[in-house]
Formats: sequence, C-alpha cells, structure tokens
Amino acid sequence: MTRGGILASGIATVVFMVTVFAIAGGSGALGQVTKEAPLETKGEASVRPWKRYVGWPARDESTYNTLGNVATPAAPTRPRKIAGPITGDAKKGSELVADRDRGGSCLACHVMGPAGGANLPGNIAPDLSEIGNAGREDEWLFNYIYDARVYNPETVMPPWGSHGFFNDEEINDMVAFLKTLRSPAAFKTALDDPSKRPPPVEKRENLDPIENPAMWSVDKAQELWKQAGAAGKSCQSCHASANAEFKTWAASMPKWEPRLEKVLGVEEFVTRHAKATTGADWLMESDENRAMSVYLHYLANGTPIRVDTTSPEAKAAIERGKELSARKVGQLNMACTDCHGKVANHWIRGQWLAEPKGQYDHFPTWRTSLLAIWDIRQRFQWCQVNIRADELPPDAKEYGDLELYLAAQNDGQKLSVPGIRH
Amino acid sequence: MAEKPRLKVPKEAKKGDLIEIKTLLPHVMESGQRKDRDGKMIPRKIINKFVCEFNGKPVFAVDLEPAVAANPYMQFHAKVDESGTFKFSWIDDDGTVTTAEESVTVM
Repeated sequence: MTRGGILASGIATVVFMVTVFAIAGGSGALGQVTKEAPLETKGEASVRPWKRYVGWPARDESTYNTLGNVATPAAPTRPRKIAGPITGDAKKGSELVADRDRGGSCLACHVMGPAGGANLPGNIAPDLSEIGNAGREDEWLFNYIYDARVYNPETVMPPWGSHGFFNDEEINDMVAFLKTLRSPAAFKTALDDPSKRPPPVEKRENLDPIENPAMWSVDKAQELWKQAGAAGKSCQSCHASANAEFKTWAASMPKWEPRLEKVLGVEEFVTRHAKATTGADWLMESDENRAMSVYLHYLANGTPIRVDTTSPEAKAAIERGKELSARKVGQLNMACTDCHGKVANHWIRGQWLAEPKGQYDHFPTWRTSLLAIWDIRQRFQWCQVNIRADELPPDAKEYGDLELYLAAQNDGQKLSVPGIRH
Repeated sequence: MAEKPRLKVPKEAKKGDLIEIKTLLPHVMESGQRKDRDGKMIPRKIINKFVCEFNGKPVFAVDLEPAVAANPYMQFHAKVDESGTFKFSWIDDDGTVTTAEESVTVM
C-alpha cells in the first residue's frame, strides 16, 4: 500500500487487520504467518443487475422458490375429485410423456414401455411399463401426475399440474397412455436400458493442454499475474513465488470471511483482493477471474480439500448450506438433495446423477459440450436454471454457504484442476 | 490475446524412427453457416490450410474445410533421419499465418 494508503477511489474502505493469518489455510501446513489479506469490502463481486448468461433459457421463475427467496405456492392437501372414467387421447399422451420441452419429460425418470422409442430413459423413479396392469384408478393416476405430493409428501416428482407444466386435458391424455402400458419395455440396445447402462468414467488427461483447453488459462493467468492494475502494482509485486505460496491455499477455500460476513470462494476472493491491491477489476465470471481461479486451484493440485468446518462461523454456514440444499426450488420443485441425495447414482435420461462427493475437486472445469470454463458458482447457477428456478448472482451469500457445505462433504478429495467434463 | 499453438514433438529420436507429432491451434473455426442472434450470417473464419515442414522440406499438409470443429487438432507421424526443426504453419481465411517450431535431435 503506497500513495498514502489509498489505492484509488472507492478503495479507501480496505481494512487492514493485524491479526495473524496462516496462508496455508485450515491445516496451517506451511506455517507462514502474514498480515490478513486486504480485501475490497464495498460493492458486489459480480455484475449488477445480474444478467443470465447468453444462450441460457430466458425464463422468469420468480413465482417459485430460489435459494435466496421463498415464493412457491403451498402444496394441495387432498387429491382432486375426478368424475367418471378419464377418456384421453393415448397417442397424444405417448408424445407428451416424451416431450423434452415440457420440463424434461416423464422418460427422464421413468422407463415407460415404448414411449419415446424406449430411447435412453432414466431410472430415478419406478418403471411404468406395466402400470396398465396395476389396477390403479383414473383419479389416482391423474392426481399422481397433477401433484404427487397429495399421496407422498416426500416425493421428488415435480407437481406437473399445480406448477403449470400440463393442463388437465394433457394430463388426461397421459393417463390414457399409462393405461395402455402392459408389457416390459423392449430396449434396442443395452445402453438404452438404464439398469445396464455403465456409469460414466472420466479418463481424459485433464492437465494436458492438448486434451483440455482450460489449461490455456494457466498460461493466461501467469501473464495476468505480472500485469499491473490501476494501482500500478501486479500480483507479482507481493507474490513473487506463486508456486510455493499457493501450493495448498485453494484447497482451504471456501472460507468464512468476517469482514464481509459471508463465505468466500477462490473466485470472489480474487475479485476483492485484486481490487484492493492491484486495482484490477476481475469480476466473478469474467475471463480474467476464471483464469486466475483455474491457476490458483492448479497450483494446489494434489492437495486434499480441507476447509474450516470447526469454527462457530463455519459450522453455522455449513448448517445454512445444508438447509439450503434441502430447499425445494423452481417450477420443477427440486432440492439439491433430491437429485444428489435421495436419487443419486441413477440416470436422469442420459445423464448420471452423482453424489456430492467427487463433485467439487475438479472445479473450475472445462465443459467440452460448451467450449467453456465453468467455476462451481456457474455450476450452481446452471443447476438452478435447469430445474426452472431463477439463479442468484455468483457472489450470493447463499452460494457461499452451499459451497462450504459441498467442500466439507469433499474433505480429503485431492484437487485436480482444471477438470474436463462433457 | 491470441492463444499460442500447442505442440507435442519428441525432443529426441533414433535415426529412422517414426515419431508421433500432435498439434493444436486454438481457433474458433467459424463455419460461415451460422446466424447470430439477430439472424445475420456470421462470416466464415477458419484455418483453411495446415503445413508441416522438416528442415524446409514438406512433411505433411492438409486443407481444412468449414466442418472442422474449433481448435483444430492434428496428429500424424513423420520419419526422421537427421536432427532438425519441424516448422508448423496455420493459414487463416483472413491471411494471418501462425507459425511454430520444434526441434528434434537424432541420436
């Protein structure tokens, strides 16, 4: 800090604390003792107003819960009465159950005989291929689709009717189709059968820059490291030997930050620390921020994840993260713990739903299907948009709590960044 | 900033060895067939030619077409009888030529 202790306008709020700070994080393995890192504590660490990424579905889901807001209407308490037998169009029903544009399709979770050509159905929920033999009443079938919570409050099934995905007539058509299902699904290949489909295994060399373009960020970050910011200093000015200094740091993040009263991950830390020191504007989800995050994680590769889970503040944050992970959000009315807890290790259509363990050590990761680097916050955001909930800005305190809870569940997993995933 | 080419060439080889060479150039490979959000065609911009030479003599060359994906990756083999330098050139539709070199020592 030169120039009279003020770097630039808006930075006068930088707080210097004289408490000791072990840069190696939870374990304090390096035993280095330095001043607490300066952080810009004013303002937001990502674009405001937050705008959804280009190419993502544009939907307003503000009438449903998000991780930051409770808005979803209450579940009905009793089934709707259906007068007389349901006479729908079974052919239309067979198309609706396989329509991916209507919230993901029934086939995402159920095998349903010939529906959708028995092409890559999921196995999260019961196989309905012989539901027509089960002797279920029309009213029961209707209500199970309309809002299954009236029969099973713990269900992970979306309330297709009460949340407006399908109207009554369409549900009638699906009921009519279900009643025609009387024999086991005939799969064309073993891959189509979710009980025989092998779980994906990631074997690519994620640290080979020819295999993984996210590795180019390591070079890019090393250039940024030496680049002077608005304050005339660079990362290099204070961190001359990045390799040694950051050998374990990323594995100790995220971490409760008392000056901001929230959990900071590597990405938000980079934004606020750079602003306070070099003056660089590296907002979260900018190319520079992603590159720095990849690099700082990369330097700690091989280090077991070990975050603070014992301080009272960390414990409270983890508790909040755990509660958030069980909150039903979005039009599809799903919680993190639905897909990655109750029904983890199953197929949702052609995608494998994994447990939380193993879902953190490779972030930021390269997405081969998108030619893009995603950090963990963007991954959280996509989960939300995918279940038709409005996402929060990447620096939202709720994501901080969730990230700490996720990191705690990944304790001991060794960092291998940048990862490479579909 | 322009991304640099990525190369994998053995540093050493025995005389007469067939060595494996891997090259990749970060590039959008915009096909010229896509429309932007306003419905306007995005102009074609691809690497249309790749050439590899060894000590000034041609080893391998390829014409690339718009269907080739982003970040064109080339893997091929070359026989080396003497120490020398591979020179790689990527020719862009806009005329830019990106070059890179790697030396191999024949033991």
